[in-house]
Parts: sequence; structure tokens; C-alpha cells
Amino acid sequence: MKKLAVFFLALALVPFGAFAAPKTLVYGTTEKVTDIDNASTWDFHTWEYFQNISAGLLTYKDGSSDLVPALAEKYTVNKAGDEYTFTLRKGLKFSNGNPLDAAAVKWTIDRVVALKGDPVSLVTDYVDTVTVKDPLTVVFKLKSPTGYFPALIATPPYFPQDPKTFPVDKVVHDPSGLASGQFPATGPYKLTSYKRDQEAIFELNPNYYGPKGKVDRIIIRYFADATTLRLSLDKGEVDLAFKTLNPADIDAESKNPKVKTFKLDGVFIRYVAFETSESVFKDKTLRQAFAYLIDRADLNKKVYLGQNKPLYSMIPEGMAYRYPTFKALGDGNVAKAEALLTKAGYSKAKPFEFDLWYTTSHYGDAEVNQAEVLKAQLEKTPLVKVTLKTAEWATYKQQWDKKQMPVFLLGWYPDYIDPDDFSAVFTSTEASKGNGVYFSSKVWDDLYVTERTSADTKIRDAAFKKVQNLWTDDVPTIPLWQGSLYVFTKPNVDNVVTNASMLLLYDKLTLK
Amino acid sequence: MKNLSKYLATRILLTIPMLLILLTVVFLVLRVLPGDPISAMLGDHAPPAYVAEKKHELGLDKPIWQQYGEYLWQLAHFDLGRSMILNEDVIAPVLEKLPATIELTFVSLLVALAIGVTLGAWAAKHRRSPGDYAARLYGNIVYCIPVFWMGLLLQMIFGVGLDWLPVAGRVGSRVITSDFEMTGFYLFDTLAKGDIGAFTDVGLHLILPALTLGVTLSGIFLRLTRANMLDSLKSDFVLAARARGLSETKVVYGHALGNAFVPVLTMLGLEFAVLLAGAILTETTFSWPGMGRLLLERIYLRDYPTVQGVIVIFALFVSLISLIVDIVHALIDPRVKY
Amino acid sequence: MSPTTDKLRPPTPAGLLGRGLNAFSLAGKKYGAEWYIFLAGLLIVCFMIFMTLFPWLFTSFNPSDQNAGPQLAAPAGVHLMGTDNLGRDIWSRMVWGAQTILGVAFAAALMSSFIGIPLGLLSGFVGGPLDRVLSLTMDSIYSFPGLILAIAFAAMLGPGVVNITLAVAVIYIPTYFRLVRGQTISIREELYVEAAQVLGAKRWTILGRYIFPNVIATTVVIFSVNIADAIMTEAALSYIGLGLPAGIPDWGMDLSMGKKFLPSGSWWLITFPGMMIMILALGFTLLGEGLAELLNPKLLEK
Repeated sequence: MKKLAVFFLALALVPFGAFAAPKTLVYGTTEKVTDIDNASTWDFHTWEYFQNISAGLLTYKDGSSDLVPALAEKYTVNKAGDEYTFTLRKGLKFSNGNPLDAAAVKWTIDRVVALKGDPVSLVTDYVDTVTVKDPLTVVFKLKSPTGYFPALIATPPYFPQDPKTFPVDKVVHDPSGLASGQFPATGPYKLTSYKRDQEAIFELNPNYYGPKGKVDRIIIRYFADATTLRLSLDKGEVDLAFKTLNPADIDAESKNPKVKTFKLDGVFIRYVAFETSESVFKDKTLRQAFAYLIDRADLNKKVYLGQNKPLYSMIPEGMAYRYPTFKALGDGNVAKAEALLTKAGYSKAKPFEFDLWYTTSHYGDAEVNQAEVLKAQLEKTPLVKVTLKTAEWATYKQQWDKKQMPVFLLGWYPDYIDPDDFSAVFTSTEASKGNGVYFSSKVWDDLYVTERTSADTKIRDAAFKKVQNLWTDDVPTIPLWQGSLYVFTKPNVDNVVTNASMLLLYDKLTLK
Repeated sequence: MKNLSKYLATRILLTIPMLLILLTVVFLVLRVLPGDPISAMLGDHAPPAYVAEKKHELGLDKPIWQQYGEYLWQLAHFDLGRSMILNEDVIAPVLEKLPATIELTFVSLLVALAIGVTLGAWAAKHRRSPGDYAARLYGNIVYCIPVFWMGLLLQMIFGVGLDWLPVAGRVGSRVITSDFEMTGFYLFDTLAKGDIGAFTDVGLHLILPALTLGVTLSGIFLRLTRANMLDSLKSDFVLAARARGLSETKVVYGHALGNAFVPVLTMLGLEFAVLLAGAILTETTFSWPGMGRLLLERIYLRDYPTVQGVIVIFALFVSLISLIVDIVHALIDPRVKY
Repeated sequence: MSPTTDKLRPPTPAGLLGRGLNAFSLAGKKYGAEWYIFLAGLLIVCFMIFMTLFPWLFTSFNPSDQNAGPQLAAPAGVHLMGTDNLGRDIWSRMVWGAQTILGVAFAAALMSSFIGIPLGLLSGFVGGPLDRVLSLTMDSIYSFPGLILAIAFAAMLGPGVVNITLAVAVIYIPTYFRLVRGQTISIREELYVEAAQVLGAKRWTILGRYIFPNVIATTVVIFSVNIADAIMTEAALSYIGLGLPAGIPDWGMDLSMGKKFLPSGSWWLITFPGMMIMILALGFTLLGEGLAELLNPKLLEK
């Protein structure tokens, strides 16, 4: 097989003839692409595309969550903190040669707002108007002062697109729906060929403003399941495997001398969500009891073979203003839980019975095991009786909208790197509906307003500390663990890095 | 021949109510399913107003009978409609995946026939010998092996353990399909392009899935061939052939088998449904990008039009095969009258 | 010794055993290999049913106990079939899982026969437009790949024991319908039935007294073969994730969970659940086939 593979590689390179063979890297994944349109997409893998074929006005500095100028040369904020003025670099061009100016920036934002796609709230919650001052200057007027607005600017909905190529009135599903059939790139790479769920080919973008990528061509292969991806890695058919291998395979590959392992500590979190307004878990005593019964170390060891970190605050490690308050509750604290349950009127004869929901089609194959282990942990006390229920992702989402699941398992990848995106999104009155939590509290909402409108770290720190302390009492959600991302490569691949929001950066990759 | 064409016309007309019944069942089943394409498609954050707008745009707010009527009207114009999840016509993914499924089922069928007919004929000739019982036991056992388990076992042994054969997909990761893709039948495409390397790769990828499906189905053909051979061996014209002094091998494998093959062929039409069901499971096990995987993925996404489209295509496919079988049957067996 | 004296003498256990053995070898001689096929099937089926009824006799482990042993231990010692990735004992999961699959398959076969048989009787006996409509509907469903319909139904109903039973049951209704209808039509035209009709027997009497008993004998055979099919369908649905939620031991689901460990070499997770499905299905197939050969050699060859 290996010989064949080399042969095919040679075949693939035939069109390049006598020139030096371009460096090609095959990247295997089990992820899926949604729409290659920044007005519609809001998922991890498609955002990775945008991170590499598009660029923002600002971007994360290598290896940190500080923001630095990208397409913009510089920016200024007014005193009130609600008006941002960006100055673009001179001579910016899309990969098709069309110019990128302030008008394109405004046009993109207007399009995102008009199409009302999935990520629209990332724009409409904050931006009031965008105005073009001159071809190189664009002004964002905000609805209210927002300290972390630069982090939002670094998300794909804000990435300027080509007005001459994108249709203004409809979402594009893939490049075949664009005027030229080619995605107008501004990032280090351009997408040259795309077949849904099969392959995507990226090549260097000659019009990129920054330093050139080191690999000439990157081919993404889409795999139907993690097992197949692992086998392809073993057989040397892929150079790089990323997202997501099964825990047992991660374990085996980490010890495989023929494979290089890159462990990237991430800010991906998993948590338990309660429907707090109408379900049996309306009573916070029961939510507290649940929180006491969870044993994170056991869960991590059994299901994930120790590959993740136990999480004691919804705000994960690596973020500012983090206070792991759930540590105080302990793990597998059966005695405390039994006391609470008895207080709530439950006994051995009349145990607390409820349905715990999980979904098999969104969080990988290990999710079933996670549900099974949680059930066993909860049933350590005879006062609890859990029935596991499962639904497909489509149904799952509909059910949390309709408050049909009292308690269910969810996960979260951040949109912008700020603690706000790990707290307010779950528990502010407005946002918690979107996650099926339906939590509402004036005290919490006020704290979020304080935190959002201030740029003063002391004020923000105090607000977030208070919120995290309240969390262990109200328990609208329970943090479970913080994920690490594992990338496995052949020995000749190096420099596998992500930006602060965990998106893999293709231009940093090297191939010997 | 006139009777035959009349019969065929009736047969073709009969597939219409058949399709209609299946469609009605599937249509109703899908609409009753919890979950809908909108919540599957949009992320966790979509504003309710937008959801309502989307629903209206896709016509999901109309009463079911109206949706049903509109769908049938569309079908009557040979239009499978547009996907509700992706911005594409239903026919696009179907045309892309159908060749993969046909290629797999066709090669599997050859495997099943080769094993089943040979063993069946042999067992009938050696009736009640230990070999006969062994062959029949084989038939029963492979019939009871879940096709997905067979696939996993073969993957485990030949893919992982011995590392001889690839275990997933239609081509290796470094083969770029757009270099040779024309009809979607990769065995044909690679040959037509003269790309022997790619042809070998495609062939290697086909071995395990085709063997999985072929072997599990060979039991049915074994049983059918054996039973029909037994009848055939007792028939007058085999006796006549023997009387004429033809060699036993010629009588058995020439005359009797030829005769027994006709009913086997007839059953092929019915067994095709079993074959397709097996293909879905095989595709799942081997990550084969065919119709079965398409169906499962789109059921999860509640992409109504695509699921309906896949079912229509499956139903047409089954009807077409049974029609062809009938015609072939009529042509090779002069005794068949309509 | 005349038969009458034989009857008078109280049977001793040894005598009974001897007579049983005698009958056994006689049957073996009379029917040949078919008898042993039947016996093999019966043995497997009886064993499995016994295991289903008294699982605790076969294993001391709780199938959900995550501390039954170390994680992913290969078969050895107390763990006859090894343990899974959560440390549960595989053999105990096989023993308790038999309840699930056998229960679902049996209930589904019962359900489809309860619907298919009366409809078939009615259709065959009444004839006319009703027969045509029913036959066309049933033939349409029959000619279509059953698994695909079952998938659609299972997805509609969502995971759960009752739901999966319904999904499996639906696709086997035409099997009973077609068989019963065909038989009804041929029996209706038999001489003795026509004679009864001429003598003025009521339609319901004819249906109940002449046709139904004849039909039921052959459906018993089909029932056994049908359970084998239902077992495979249940396993297939569980395997593709449309079966049961976690928490209920189920062979098909264990197999799909075991699939993840294919590259890491935990062969026992894949081997045993599949083997159990095969043995159980084989038991019912052999039983059905043996019965068919013993009762009516022509039945299965059709």
C-alpha cells in the first residue's frame, strides 16, 4: 500500500511536470463543513476555513489572546468606548485581484445583518452602524460600550468579503454558488477545489498581505468516522489527523513512535444543562444535589482516559477572571447530596426519578459512555433513579427549545475570547433560552451589564467573581470538563498551532 | 411477443401505484418525525423570527396534505425537488452517490452468485453426502451472519491484523478523484482514463465490502440453486440427456444447472431488495459514500426531499431490476407465457 | 406385549427415558438429517430462552456495573469474554442483552402476525377489490428493502424498546399476509371446502373451521424463520444507532460501540456480540427449517 501511495502522489503531481514538486499535505478529519459563507456559518470547522482563506481587521497574536492589526493597520477607540475607527492597509486585494477597501468592510457587515443567518447576533447585538469615512477608513458605532469588541472583530462574520463575487441577497452554500465559482480569498490560502464531505484543496494565496505559508498545497480529506481516520493515519495515507479521534485511539497514537502528537490545550468545555423554569429541576436544591454527585475525575478516567481536564467553573483555564468555585462542592459527594435530597422529600422508597438526555450525533462516539458513567455516578445514592434518553441533534435542539428535556448534556466552543462568552451566553435571561436553560435572575443580569460595559479590569473581575460564586448556589449548569485537542501527524510535519480560539493555522504548518 | 409487451406495459403501469404507496408511507413518516430541517440546519443561536421565516420559505408551514400534493405534482414532472438543508437539487447528491452503490451491489452480486450457484449445484449433485450437509450448513450460517458483523470481522482480520487491504472509502487519501471522475463508476472511469494505478487502488478498496455483502448473500443463492437443481435433476429432459449418453458432468452443469438457473434468476428480482438493505449496512461499516450513507445522514438532518428522493430512487431501482429479470426470463425460457 | 397392557403398567423413569430415546432414534432414522437440524435449532432456542428467563443463573455480574473489572481487559479468568472500555463484563452484557433482542424480535413477530394473518385471511377469502387493494399495498411494501422502511420508522419513533419493536413489526406484516392469502385461496378451492359451502355452511364457519386451522400450521414455521429475520433487523437498527438508548444492554449497540476499538485491537468487543446475534438467528432459522422439512417439505422451497 505504501508504495502505491507514493505512486499516486507522484501521479497527482504530474501536471506540475518538471518544476520542483509542490509540498502537499493531506489532512484528515471527521468534521463537516456547513456553508462557506460568513453570513451563515457558526461552527468550529467552517470557521477554521475562514481563518485560513479570509482575514479580519484584527487577529490574535501568535500564542496569545491579545489582538493585533491584520487587514487593518491600526485602530482607535473613542473615549466612551462605543466607537471604533479602523484604518486599512494600503493596496489590499482579494485573490481574484479585486480591491479590498472600506466599502467592502461595510458591505460585508450589512450583508450579514440583512441575511439574518446563524451568527447574526454576533453583529447585531453590538454594532449599530458602520460608516465609510474614506476608502481606507471605516467606523463602527456600537449600541453600547463593549470592552471586548476587538475580539468580536476577529470572528468570521466580521471578515470582509468581495462585493463583486458574493450575492447580496442569499446565502452561498459553497464556491459553486459564487459569481466566479472561486472563493475570493484574503487569507494565506485560497480554496481551489471543494467536494462536500469528500475533499477540499487549498493552495497559497499570492495576494495575501502577510508572510507566505510554508506548505504549497493542503488537501483536506473528510472521513465518515473516527475509526477510519485512525486507520488512515496508521497506514500513512494522511499526514495530519485532527478532530476527532476516539479516546482509545488518542491513547494509542500518543504512544505510537511513528506518529507525532501535538496536544493543544483548549477552551472547549462540556457541561450539564438544566431546564430551570418548568422541569423537575426548577428546584435548585435538586440541581445542587446533582452537582454534588458528579465525579469529574472518574468521568475523565473512564470515558476519556485522562485526556481532558476536570472543569470547576464554566470559565475555563486560560481565561481571565476565572474562579473555580465548583471545587468547593467536591466530587462524588454522596453524603451532601443525600442530605439535600432528603430535605427535598425523597427517600429510598421514593427516589428522585428523572430523564437524563444525551445526543449521539454531535459530540462523537464517546458521548454514550459519558451518559452511562454519569448515570452510574448519580445512582451511587439509592435516592436517585436515572433513565437515559437520547435523540438526534435535530430533535435534541427542538426539544430544548420546547423545554422537553429536564437535564441534558451540552458543549461549548467560544465565539470570541472573553469570559463573557463562557457565562452570559448560558445564564443571562435573554441568552439562556438559546441553550434551553431558561434561567432568569435580575442579580445575574445586572452583573453582566456591569461586566460588559466596563473596560476596567477590576470592575470586571469583581463582577465575574460574583457570578461564579452565585453559580454554585443557583446551579443553572454544571461544568464537567475542559477539552484538549489532539493533532497527530507524520514525523515530517511540524509547527501545528492554533490561534486563541482553537482554529488551526495552515500557514504556520511546515512539511519536511 | 405481443403478449409480452402487453404484460410489460401492465407491469410498468403497476409500478406507479406501488411507488405511490411507498411514497405516501415515507412522506407521512417523515412529517411525523420529531425535529425538522430548520433546527437541524441552523445553529443553536438562530432567532425565532428567522426560523419562522425559513419555515415559510421552505413551505413547511403549509398543511401536510398540501405539501403532499405539491410534492406529487413535482414528481409527476420528474423533479425530485430541492434539498431543504443544502442549497442543491435532490438529484445532485443522488447522481453522485448512486454509482457507488451500484458498483458495490453489482460486484457483490457477482460474488454471491459465483459462490452460491457453484456450491448449490455441487451440493445438489452430491445430495445427502457430508459435503451436501456442509454446504447447506454454510448456507444457513452465512444467512444468519449480520452483514455488518461480517464487515467488521473482515476489517479486523484483513485490514487491521494482516494490513493487506484498505478498510474504508472508495479510494485512497492521495488519489484525487476529480482527475478521473466521469461516470462515477470508478472501476470504469479509471480504466477509461488508462490510469492503472488508480484502477488498482479502486479495486483494492472494493474487495472487502464486496466480499462482505457477497458472502452473506451467497447463502440464499446456494439454497435456491440447490432446491431448483434437485427438481431439475429429476426432470424429464435431464433424464433424456442422460439417456442420450451425455457425460454426467455435462448433464449436471450443462443441462440441469442451465434449467435451474431460470428460477434462481426470477428470485434475483426479489432478493435485490435484500441486497440493497445489506448494501446500506455495508456502506455504513466501510464508510462507502453511497446511497445508504446519504439516506442515513439526511434522515438525521430531517432533509425531507432528499430522503424521499432516495426512497423513490430505491423503489425505481428495485422495480427496474424485477422488470429486467422478467424480460430476461421471458426471453430465455420459452415455456413462459403471458 | 399388547399396547393395552403397556398402558396399564405404571411408567418407571427408566422406562420413560428408554421410550423417549427410542422415539428419538426412530425419528432420526425416519427423517434423517432434517431431524438433527431441527434438534440443533431447538436446542439453541431453548438455551437462549432459558438464559433470557433466568439470566442470574448464568452470570454474577451486573451488566451495567462499571467496576466489574479493569477497563478493556481481554477475555480471561472471571471475565469469560473480557470487559469493555468502561470496565463492564461482556459476558454479563451478552446474557442480559439476550432479553432485549429476543423480546423485541418475539414481540415484533407476534405483532406482525396478528395483523398480517387476519388481513391475509380476509383478503384471500373475500377477494374482489378489497383483495386487490390489500395485495397491491402489501406487495409494494414487500418488494421494497425492509430495512430502509424500518430505518424510517425507527427514526420517526425515536429510540426505545417499544418503538424499535414497532419499527421491526411493520416490515414483516406483508410476509404473513402473502403466505396466508395464498394458502387461503388454495384451500378455498379444495373439494371439501366447496362441499361444505354447497351443504350450506356459513362463511364464518368455513373460515374458522376449515381454513384457519390449515393456515395456522404453516404460519408457525414462518414465525420461527421470521423471528430470525427480526433479530437481524433489530441488531441492524441498533448498530446504526436507531435502536435503544444507553442503559439497556443490547447486542447491536455493543457491537457498534465495540467498532470504535477495532484499530486498538480489542477484538473481543466486536467478536462476541456479533457471534451471539448469529447463534440466536441461526437457532431460529434451523428450527424453522427443520419444522418445515418435517411438516411440509415443499414450503420453504417456494
